[in-house]
This record gives sequence, C-alpha cells and structure tokens, in this order.
Amino acid sequence: MRLVGFRYLQRQSLLFLTVVLLLASVLFSITAFGFFGFYQTFYTYLGEGDDVVVIYDKRSTTPFTGIIQLQLIARIENISGVLATSPEIIAPTIIKDKSVFLRGVIPEEFGKLNPLTIINGETLQLGDVQSTIVGKKLAETLHLTVGHKLLVLGVLAERYLTLEIKGTYESNSALDDEAIVPLYVGQWLRGADYESATLIRAKIDRSELTSALLYEAIAKAETPQSDGKTGLTLIEEIIPISNTAINPKNLSVKETQQFMKTYLDRYGVTPQTLLILSVIIFIFTSATVLGASHTLIRQHEHETAVLRSLGASAKTLKLDVTMKTLPWSIIASLIGVFVAEAMLLVVETSGAQALSHTIHFQLNPLFIALNILLVFMIVFSSVLRSAKKLTSK
Amino acid sequence: MRTLSFRMLLRKSGTVESILAIALIVAILASITSVVNHINSQAKSMGKLLNVGETFLIISKNSTSITDSKVDAELVSLIRNNIDTRYVLPQKIFEAGLVTTSNRSTVLVRGVDTRAFLEARNAQVNGVPANDTQANVGEILARLVSINEGDEVNIAVDSQTVTVEVAGIVKTFTQSDTELIVPMSIANELTEDNVEVSFIEFAIEDGEQAEIDNLSGRLPANVKIVETQQTQAFIQDVNNQTISFLNLWSIAVYAIVAAASYIVAARLTIESCYELTMLKALGANPTLPFKLILSFTIVTALLGSVLGLAVGLSGAQIISSVTKWIWKNIQVAPTLEIQQTAQIILLTLASSILGSVYPAFKAMRKTYTELPL
Repeated sequence: MRLVGFRYLQRQSLLFLTVVLLLASVLFSITAFGFFGFYQTFYTYLGEGDDVVVIYDKRSTTPFTGIIQLQLIARIENISGVLATSPEIIAPTIIKDKSVFLRGVIPEEFGKLNPLTIINGETLQLGDVQSTIVGKKLAETLHLTVGHKLLVLGVLAERYLTLEIKGTYESNSALDDEAIVPLYVGQWLRGADYESATLIRAKIDRSELTSALLYEAIAKAETPQSDGKTGLTLIEEIIPISNTAINPKNLSVKETQQFMKTYLDRYGVTPQTLLILSVIIFIFTSATVLGASHTLIRQHEHETAVLRSLGASAKTLKLDVTMKTLPWSIIASLIGVFVAEAMLLVVETSGAQALSHTIHFQLNPLFIALNILLVFMIVFSSVLRSAKKLTSK
Repeated sequence: MRTLSFRMLLRKSGTVESILAIALIVAILASITSVVNHINSQAKSMGKLLNVGETFLIISKNSTSITDSKVDAELVSLIRNNIDTRYVLPQKIFEAGLVTTSNRSTVLVRGVDTRAFLEARNAQVNGVPANDTQANVGEILARLVSINEGDEVNIAVDSQTVTVEVAGIVKTFTQSDTELIVPMSIANELTEDNVEVSFIEFAIEDGEQAEIDNLSGRLPANVKIVETQQTQAFIQDVNNQTISFLNLWSIAVYAIVAAASYIVAARLTIESCYELTMLKALGANPTLPFKLILSFTIVTALLGSVLGLAVGLSGAQIISSVTKWIWKNIQVAPTLEIQQTAQIILLTLASSILGSVYPAFKAMRKTYTELPL
C-alpha cells in the first residue's frame, strides 16, 4: 500500500517539529560559527601569508606579552632571504573607558608587511611624537576623527599620555580594531625600555629561507654593523639602542598563523575541540527533538490506526512518516543555519568583540553539511523509534 | 482533588523524559558558563599579579585629553589635606612653538616642579633639573630637533615668548621624553594664567586606596579622578565582551527550553486527555487542566534546571580533570557563582512558563475528542 498521497500528518504539527529542529540547528550553528569565528580571528591576527614569520619570546604566556631585544633586527636584516622586518610592541590600553590594543611600530618598516589604506588624514611617521593613526572599526566604535586628542591610560604600566589622531586607516584585518603608534610610544605603554619589542615579524623569500633555517641563522649570527638605512638605524636616529646579550634559547621562529596556533593550542582552543563541543551541544538538544517527534506521532495515532486498519504495514507506515518529515528537517536545518548567521551578522555589525577585536563570523560549508547530517540522523532515528512504538501497540 | 490529580500527572511515563530534556539543555548552559567563569577569573587573577599603580590624575570632567583639561591649582591643598601622598604635582600641558638655532617646530610643553617631577619619574638626567630660567628636554625630542645641554631655545605661545637655557636632557620612558619640561613659572608666563593648571598628578602611600573615594566626594563637581594604570578596567571590559557573546548564545538556549516545555505540555495534554476530561466530568473547576499542566511544566523545569546545573557543572569538571590529566599544561577549573545558578533556574522557569502557556490554555478548552494542536 502506497501512502504518498495521504496527507494525514497535520501541517501545524509538522511545523512545530520543524521549529524545534530549527532552534536546535540555530544553537548548533551559533556555537560552531561563533567559536570558529573567534578561532579564525586570532588565527589570522598577525596576517595570513606563509611568507611572513614571527620571531618571539617562547616563554611568554600570551601572544601580546612577550619581550625580545630590538638588537635582533641587526642580525635578522643581514640574513640572506629576509626581505623586510618589522619590530612591534603590543600594548593593552584604556581609551575613552574602552579596552584598546595599541601597536607600536616603525611605520616605514611596518608598511612593507602590512600596507595600510589611509581613509582620512595622513600616514604616521616614526618622528610623529604625539600622534597615532587608528583603525577604521576602532574609529567607528569610539567615534574618533582626525585631529581628535585622546587620553591613553596604561594597563601593564603606570602610564598616561595624550595622542592626536593623525589619520584613520583600513586594513581588512584585526588591525582595524587597533591604533598604531611609533614604536617608542608602545614601549612607554608596555612599561618596556627602548631596547625591547613584543615580537619581530619578517617577510622572507620562501625559496631561500624557512622559519627553521631563520632560527638557525639567528642563533649563529653575530650582531653585524648595519651600513644601510635599516629598521634599527631608523630607530637609532631617534633613540640609541644599546647592545644587549641575546639568548636564542628564549626565542622561537614560526609562520604567523602557526605562532597564533601555538597560543590557541596552549589553552585547548583547537578546531577539533570546538567541533566536538558544537556536536555535544547538538546531541544535548536532541532530547527535545526526540520529544517533539514522539509528540508528533502521538498526535496522529488515530490517523495511523486508521491507515493500519486499511492495510498499511508497519514498515510502510514508518517509511512514510520518515519520508514526510525528512524534507521538513532539511529545510529546518538550512533555515537554522541562515537564522544563526543573520543573528551573528547583527552581533558582528553591532561590534561584538573578543579581546577587543571584532569577531568575523563566516559560513562554513563543513558545518552546514554536518548540521544537515545531524538533523537528518536525529529525525530519522527519533521518528523511527516513535513510529515503531506506535505500530507495535 | 488538585493534589491527587497533580500526582497522577507526575506519575506519567513521560515525566522523567521531560525532566531530562530540560536538564540536558540547562547542562549545556551551566557547563559553558562555568568554563567562561574560569577564563574570566584567570584573567582577573592575572591582573592582580601586576603591581597595580598608585598614581592618579585630577582632570576636568568634560575633557577627553590632558591638553584640553583645566582644573583649579588650589585643589593641591585639598589633596594634601585629605590623603597621604608620596607626591602631588600640578602640571600645565600645552603646545608651543620651539625655535632653536637650526630648527623650528611645534612641541608639547609641560609646566611642572621640574625637580620633583623628574624624581617621581626616576628620570635619567644628563645635566640638572631646570631652575626658573631653564628647561629640560626629553631625549627623543632632543634628538629630533638637535638640542644639546647648554643650548638656548625660544618658546612661543601666541604673542608670548621666553628664552630658556637647556639645563639637561632627560630620559623617563614616558611621553616626557618627547616634551619640553619647564618650571611652572615659565608655563604661567607663556599661558598668561596663574590660576588654573591642566591637571594634578598625585601618588598615594600604600594602603590609602580606600581614601580615594573620600577624596572624590570632596572634589568640585567639574573634576574627576582617573587612575593611570587601568588593569582591572581593561580586564573587566574584555570579560564583558565574552559575557555579551555568551548572553546572545543563551537566548538560543532559552528558546529551546521554551520549545521543550511546549512539547512537554503538549505531550502531557495528549497522554492525559482521558484523565483531564474525567476531572471535568467529576465537577472540577474548568481552569484546573490549565493549572495542572502549568504546574507540571514548572515542576519539571525546576527539577530539570537543578539536575542540569549539577550535570553541567560536574560534567565540565570531569572533562577538565581528564583534560588536565592528558595535557598537563591545560588547567581549567569550572565554577558557577550563586547568583548565576539562581539566574539560570529563574530564566529556565520563565522560558518554561512561556512555552507551556499555550498548550495549557488549549488543554483547558478542549474536549476529549479534540487534539491539542
């Protein structure tokens, strides 16, 4: 007996199962996209290209708090295959009662690794002693404009200073949530001396150099006297850098994304753990889906009893109920994905941040497929279970 | 009759399933909240490890920067009379034209008691602190505009000009390394103002933090106290960002709690159709089914939320212990605060009531032959 033409399941009841599935799908998607957005934001914090490496203090517990010697630049610049170097000091601060990361850089060198598009005002020079350029998103969040004077308060050190906004820039990266200042301003706010930086980024020629080879070269190299106008000489025009002993054992060299991954892994934040967490959350909500399927079947016990009396076998009935609910479940999971994405987009545009950086939520085909698969499995098993109970009565 | 009827509903086979459905959803919320609590408490304790500063500024309330602030210089005595301080430094900050033999530029000038200021900054001075006819120059500024100790420079603000001798080049590792530091008398002469200063910087003795609030209460309404090291404020702001995302996520969880309660109520109505009709036939108040179903949902939600809190918290703790056992460097200690526990229970109850009102209302109005949906 074929039951395809029999519309015995009430649309209202099916709709309610769909709503429950949709909510479960929304929760799964918000969890997965939200946490992966967080992961991706920090994974790509220092850039995405594999030709940029980071020289950093491996003893540091966070990517923002390490300290290495600026003198290293003299060694790195002279290694064959190094195309550009940018020492950077990252300083957490409070501006207008909001947490903001300031990045102290040598603007001329920094621009070789991260070209910035100046939207308003002018670009920053190392000699701009009381100036800053601010990222587009930071400017929007704190309502900052060119010429605006700011009171910047330290977090890691007792420091306060006044800075005038010289320009606003766009980089389409995490930098849009930060402000850029001359290197020494970052050093004040970090409570560091003029010989220190948080990290040094270097652009390398991949055909000549790898991060491992660069580390070896740094460990072996003697500090040479630089003859051209290098990053170090640019700083030394403004502030003298004294020679300090460099201990290569405290250093590590990694590609930018691997550098961030090291820290994320250290706190147990990996794509695998986030995926497992999202799936566990879905499984926990599946009890509600089971309840909804059971209720749907119970609501139609009279109809199924009539169909059984008309000659429909238990197998036919189970198969038909499953076939009738599956399209709804797929629709529910897809709508759930898009509702979650819409919610996250609203959150993103309203300025949702983690560690003072905007989280970018992106649709991930793997999660969409996983969502549909999970919804399919849960509906299939729950409808089958409930229908089996019913037909065995 | 009401108690008996309620007991009858509780004995239904679906009650345990209903409690479990709610409990599992609450468990998700409890476990994630407890892990977030751990992350936030770690951030707070990291903040406490830092030497939190004891330096404060008094600036005008409506100012966005120290350069546009103006406060009464007389406030210095108010601070000294009310709090034990290591130093109190009224300061005047303004932009001025700097003319040297080879250079002309706009610089930031700081009018202050130079000796006390340089002592407070632990400054390295190449020379001596400036007296009433001299100035100190920050090391970075000195290099940028090629000034040496002993040079004479002109400082100009509008029509006022003074000539000073450079008494020393200073290094403080602060913004003063890019400033011209002059005695307050010169700053007053340049700005033609003896009454107001830009701000007052003061550092308190150990154990005087509690007095800051008292001092704040005695200050005029147009000024405010700002701490120069904002570690706790930074951590609080970063934690609030995490909590904001968690709150959004919680909305989705409570929506599922409401849906689960709808299902619990609808299922109960279907499965107790006969009993509810019998109660009506025996003369029960027509609103009894509504009250019974609503009470049932509240009880299942309450039990579910308590069970969920226990499962979620203990689950998170078990997972963190296992994680710690496998990866020794990952140490997570999930905890829940009492007010969070109460909040989760109350919001679960509220969501459940919201979800069950419609099926309970339908149950009150339906007859035996009708279906609840």
